[in-house]
Amino acid sequence: MQDPAELEHLRELFLRAPESRATGILAIALSTCLLLTVLYLVRKRRLREEYTPIWITLALIMTVISLRLDLLRALTAAIGAWTPSSTLFFMGELFILWICLNYSIRLSRHTTQLKNLAQETAILRAHLQELSDRNAERDPRDG
Amino acid sequence: MSPAPAPTPVAMPLAGDAAGEFLVLIPAFNEAQRLPNVLRELGTLKEPHRVVVIDDGSRDKTAERARDLGATVLRLPFNLGYGSALQTGYKYAHAAKASLVVQMDADGQHDPRFIPELIAPIRDGSADLVIGSRFARQTSYRMGWLHSLGRRLFQRVARVAGLHVTDPTSGLQAMNGSVLELYSGDFFPSDYPDVDVLLEAFRRGLRIRECAVEMRPGERPSTLHGGLRSFYYVYRLTLALWAGVRAGNTR
Repeated sequence: MQDPAELEHLRELFLRAPESRATGILAIALSTCLLLTVLYLVRKRRLREEYTPIWITLALIMTVISLRLDLLRALTAAIGAWTPSSTLFFMGELFILWICLNYSIRLSRHTTQLKNLAQETAILRAHLQELSDRNAERDPRDG
Repeated sequence: MSPAPAPTPVAMPLAGDAAGEFLVLIPAFNEAQRLPNVLRELGTLKEPHRVVVIDDGSRDKTAERARDLGATVLRLPFNLGYGSALQTGYKYAHAAKASLVVQMDADGQHDPRFIPELIAPIRDGSADLVIGSRFARQTSYRMGWLHSLGRRLFQRVARVAGLHVTDPTSGLQAMNGSVLELYSGDFFPSDYPDVDVLLEAFRRGLRIRECAVEMRPGERPSTLHGGLRSFYYVYRLTLALWAGVRAGNTR
């Protein structure tokens, strides 16, 4: 069993350990990449505008964190985690969970809409058939 | 998040369609072999009626066979599942203002000889929904143990709520316009409607009755109540019942 004071000291060391310059640059590059990819997909009409706020917000948060890594360290200290990287993983998991649930809700709604549309198509098709049968009966030459 | 959209209005019936019609709804998926016999048997029914076959995206000649034998065919562009196919028929019947609807399966399991008995309570106004029950009295029909166990469990749940049904999963049912209106709603399941749907009808004040019928055993084993699907069946129904009770409490 480790001494609690020793453990606390170790945690402080983890929290204060400075990130390398490469980490910061990589983080900024990734968030810029995400932002540009979202904008590119919108411009190519492969991503609808209504689905972009979440990704733009994420890209902006990533940029802010990349520029101000001290904010990430403060958050790490506040939630009681040991390293900024574990805080990032934790937040990432929460985000993925939330977005999966969000898309399941959207999928459920779209499934109902698709079902209603298919049913409507079947009913309209039957009405069309009935109409064309009636017309054929009325004037057999048209049939 | 934007709120859920209102249910899509269903296409209006053709001008000149006779309201108050008696429709027989038959959902069918790849039943080109067995459906013709069912339609021929229905031809012996004395009550004036119109048969509506809902072709649930079949890959065989189900729709053509049904049309050749004089049925109206609602052809779904792709397979939606038994419940949604059935609901397509309800929506059609509701839009056509049908006063009486009988639903039956396309596999020949249901005997049209029982239809007059089934529709009598709807005709005399003593019930809104009549279920053709295999168990209202002892019959020769057999089912798997898990299916049987699930049925008994949910039957008990229904009984606690005040609904006494012995065969909630029966595909042979008769109903009037009030039931059609309710069943056209978005709560109706896309797979097999069960006691959850009946409880919803019961909660809305619709009068449900049972009528003892004999059923022929299905020629192929039902995939719904076999293996893992049996567990999913119990899970889905529990959730649906809970959601129904919650919705009922907050209404």
